[in-house]
Amino acid sequence: MKEQKGLLTGDHFMLGDYAAAEGALLAGCRFFAGYPITPATEIAERMSTRMPQIGGVYIQMEDEIASMNAILGGSWSGVKSMTATSGPGFSLMMENLGLGIMLETPCVVINVQRGGPSTGLPTLVGQQDMMQAKWGSHGDYEIIALCPGSPQEFFDLTIRAFNLAEKYRTPVLVMADAEVGHMTEKVVIPDPEEIEIISRPMVRKGDVEPDHFRIYRDMTHCKGGVRVSPMAKAGDGFRFHVTGLTHDERGYPDMSAKGNEWNMERLISKIRDNKDDIIWVEEKDLDDAEVVVVSYGISARTALWPIELARKEGIRVGLLRLITVWPFSEEKIRRLAKSVKAFVVPEINMGQIVREVERCAAGEAAVFGVHRPGGEVLDPAEVLNTIRKAAGHPVQTEDAVIANQEIQE
Amino acid sequence: MSADKIPADSISHLSGYEPPDQSDWETGLHPMDSLLRGERLPHIWCQGCGLGTALTTFISALQWLEKNKEWDLEKVAVVSGIGCSGRVAGYIRLDSFHTTHGRAIPFATGLKIANPNLKVVVFSGDGDIAGIGGNHFIHAARRNLDITVICVNNFNYGMTGGQVGSTTPHGARAVTAQYGNFEYPFNLPYLAAAGGASFMARWTVLHARRLEWTLREAMEHRGFSFVEIIAPCSTAYARWNPEGKGLDPEKLRRRGLEVIKHYKEIGKISPETHPKDADVKVDENGVIIEIVEGKFIDDPKPDLQEAIDQMAPIAEKKWKAAKRAIDNRPKVKGRTDKVPRKELQLGGFGGQGIISAGKIIGQAAAIYDKLEACFTQSYGPEARGGAAGSQVVISSDLIHYPNITEPESAIIMSQGAYEKYAPLITEKGILLIDDGLVVLPENHRQDIVTYGIPATKAAEEMGNIRAANTVMLGFWTSIVGAVSKEAMKLSLADSVPPKTVDVNIKAFDYGYDRGTELKKTKAIPIPTPTEKTGTTHSGDKKSSINEP
Repeated sequence: MKEQKGLLTGDHFMLGDYAAAEGALLAGCRFFAGYPITPATEIAERMSTRMPQIGGVYIQMEDEIASMNAILGGSWSGVKSMTATSGPGFSLMMENLGLGIMLETPCVVINVQRGGPSTGLPTLVGQQDMMQAKWGSHGDYEIIALCPGSPQEFFDLTIRAFNLAEKYRTPVLVMADAEVGHMTEKVVIPDPEEIEIISRPMVRKGDVEPDHFRIYRDMTHCKGGVRVSPMAKAGDGFRFHVTGLTHDERGYPDMSAKGNEWNMERLISKIRDNKDDIIWVEEKDLDDAEVVVVSYGISARTALWPIELARKEGIRVGLLRLITVWPFSEEKIRRLAKSVKAFVVPEINMGQIVREVERCAAGEAAVFGVHRPGGEVLDPAEVLNTIRKAAGHPVQTEDAVIANQEIQE
Repeated sequence: MSADKIPADSISHLSGYEPPDQSDWETGLHPMDSLLRGERLPHIWCQGCGLGTALTTFISALQWLEKNKEWDLEKVAVVSGIGCSGRVAGYIRLDSFHTTHGRAIPFATGLKIANPNLKVVVFSGDGDIAGIGGNHFIHAARRNLDITVICVNNFNYGMTGGQVGSTTPHGARAVTAQYGNFEYPFNLPYLAAAGGASFMARWTVLHARRLEWTLREAMEHRGFSFVEIIAPCSTAYARWNPEGKGLDPEKLRRRGLEVIKHYKEIGKISPETHPKDADVKVDENGVIIEIVEGKFIDDPKPDLQEAIDQMAPIAEKKWKAAKRAIDNRPKVKGRTDKVPRKELQLGGFGGQGIISAGKIIGQAAAIYDKLEACFTQSYGPEARGGAAGSQVVISSDLIHYPNITEPESAIIMSQGAYEKYAPLITEKGILLIDDGLVVLPENHRQDIVTYGIPATKAAEEMGNIRAANTVMLGFWTSIVGAVSKEAMKLSLADSVPPKTVDVNIKAFDYGYDRGTELKKTKAIPIPTPTEKTGTTHSGDKKSSINEP
C-alpha cells in the first residue's frame, strides 16, 4: 500500500455511497474508473474528489464497458482498482467482468442496485440483479458477491471485497442497493492500523527468472492456504502474456477441451474450496428457531422489525443474513432444513435467492418467498404475515397499522 | 497541424536503416528473436498477409528506440483486442495483454494511468479499433492519453472469414457484401483528427521503412498517437476484390503480393493532405484508386497525465483544510437519556436547504448526541428545482426500518410540500411551517399541532435569506426536542460555509427562542375556518399555534 496520507478516520454522518468510497481508499484502492449512473454516481463523485488528495487517480470513462476494462488494466499495473455502477451499467460490465475472471484480475465492482429491467427505476431500490451477479457473464465461473445493509456495512464490505479480490485474484462484487447507497448514517472509520488489509500474492523482480515465471502457476500440488498463483505486474520485466482465451500456465492460448478443463478447475475451485473463508453470515436466534428468515442487504435489515414482532407473538423465528451471497451458503441451509419448519426469504425481486434456498432446502423444509418489484423496501407487515404463515399461525389483516403501533411502544 | 514531409526520392530518408548485427548471422538467431515468443510460432497469419510486415516494423522500431533512445523495453506493454491483428500481443515478447474485442484501448487506459512510467502500445485491427471499439478510440484521442494506437486496416473482418466492416470501401465486396458494400466507411485519419489525436500517420505495408520510422516517432510522441497501417488480407478481402486478382487460380497463392503491387500504383505519399481528404478513394466498383500516406498530424499539446499531475497540489490543499475542520471537531459526551424512534419529514422546494437541514439534524443526532440517525432524501426530477423532501429517523436503538412511516414532526417550507406531507403526519404530531410561505387551507388537519414562524422573512432581515432553513431548525429543536440544542449548533457550524456560521447561529437562536416562547405562551391559535382563512396569524408575534 502507498503512503497513508489523505485517509479519513473517526465518526462521520455519511452517505452510503461515500462510505463505500472511503472503504475502498482505506483498502488501498488508488484507481477508480467509472461512468455516472444513479444511484451509484455519488461513489464516483466522492472518488473524483478524494483520489487526487490521496495520490490516486479517478477517471470518468466513456461507458461502463470501458470502465470495467480500465480497472482491469489498472490492476495489472499493480494498483488496486475499482468501479461502481447500477443495473444498466452492470449489464455493460458483464463482458469484461468475464475477462477479469479469466485473467484472474483482482478488482472490485460495486452495483448499487435499482429497479429494472432496462432503465427501470433509476432512483429507487431493487435487488433484481442478484442472479445476474452470479451468472451475468457468459461461460462457467464462480463469483464472490457481498451484500451490505447500511452505510457502515457498505464501508466494511468494500474493504472486505478488496481483501477477497486480492487474496483470490478475482473480481469481487459488492451488491448494494439504492436504499443503502442513498442513506446517510453514522459511519465509524477506524485507524488504518486496525484494519486487516490483504494484498495480492506477487512475484517481484529477482524472485524468479522471467523464463521460468508462470503467470498462471498450477498450484494444485502446492502446500498451504488458498493456492492462488502469484501475480506479476506490467513493467517488472517478466514479459508475461495473458489472454481471455483458454490458456495454459504461461498464459498462452491452449484451445483444447483439456485446456478449458484446466482453466475451469482453477477458476471454480479457488472459490468453492475456500467457501469457509469467503462466506460470512450473521446468525440471529437460530438455536431454537422453527422459522428462519434468509435474507440479505436492505431486505435483511428491514426484516429485523417483523422478526422482533413475530418473536413477541411467540413465534420462534431466527435470521440467517447472507453477508456473502455468492458463493451461496449451501451447507448452512441444508443443515438448517433438517431442523426447521420453514424458511422465509424476503427480497426486492420476484424470486431469485428464494430459488437457491429452495434448492438447498430440497423439500425438507417449506420455503416462503416475500417478493415485490423494485421501488420500495418490503412492507414489514407482509414479512410478518409470511413469518406467521410459515409458522402455521393465523395471518392478520391491517398489519401495517398494528405493526406501527407495536413498534411505537 | 504540421506535416512532416519525407522526400520520396531523397537518400537522407534511408539514414535510419541499420542492417542486422553481423553476429546474428553467426549465431543463427533471427535479429528479432529477443522480442518474439518463439514458442508461439508459427503464427496464424496467412501467406501474403500484411501483418508480418506490420509486426516486424513495430519490432524494428522498438529495437531502434532501445538502442538509440535508451528505452527500457521491460517498461513497454502491448495490448491487443480480438482478431488477426489482436494476435500480436501473443507473439511479442513484452508484457502483453490479449483482451476482449474492441476493448484494448480502455484496458490500456487503465494500465497507463495506474502506472504512468509504462509505455503502452495498443496493436489491433480495424474491426477492433474502428468498429466495435470506435467509441473508446475517439475518447482516448480526446483525452490525449499518452499511448500509441497501431491499427492494421485490411478493410474487413479477416479472422471470421471476411465480413464487411466500418472501413470496407463503398462498393467493395466482402463475404457479407456480395453485391458491393452499400455503406460508407470511416476515414480513420479524419476520425482521429476530430477526436483530438496529437499524432496521426498512415502507411501501407509496402512502405515498410517509412512505416518503421513513423512508429518510432509515434511511440516517442507524448500524447495520443495513432498509426493506421493498411495491409492486404490475402485470404478474405483480396479474394472478393479485384486488387488481389479475384479468384484467378494462377494468382491464387500470390494475392497478397498482387495487393502490394496495387498499393504501389495507387499509394500517394502526401503528408500535407488534410485528414478530411485522406479517405481511401474508390471507383464506382469499389476498387481502391488512391491511398494517401504520410504523417498528417504532429501537434504537441499537454497530455492527460500532465493535467492529472496539475490537479494534485490543489486537491491536497483542499484535503488539508477538510482534515483541519474534522480534527477541530469538539469532543462531546453525547446523550444518555433514551430517545424512542422519532420520525421527521422535511419538505419545501429546491434551493431552500431542505436536504441540508435534514442532514444537519441527522448529523447532530448521530455524531454529537451519539444517537442512531438515518437520513434519506428524495431524488430525481423532484429534487431539481421542484419539490424537495428529506426524512430523518432518530432513535437510541438501532434503526431497522430506515424509512419514515408516520412522522411525529414535519418541517414544511412550501405549499406543495404542505399538500404532499401534511396528510402523512401521525395523529397529535407536530407540523412546523414557514408561515410566510405556507397558507393553511380551510380543511387544515385539527388532529395535529401546528406552529408557524416566518422563517424566510426573518432570515432575510438577518441579512441571509439562505438561513431560513436554519431558523426552522432552531424552531424544530426547541419545540420537538429530539436532538439537543448543543448538538444542533455543533452540527450546524460543521455544515454551513465558514463565513456564514455566525449568521446561521443567529438564525438558529432566533428560531429556537421563538419556539420556546410559543411553547410557553401557546401564542395565538390559528383561526378556525369559521373565523378566518389563510395566514392572518402573523401579527406582532409572527407566529402561531393550533392545538386540537
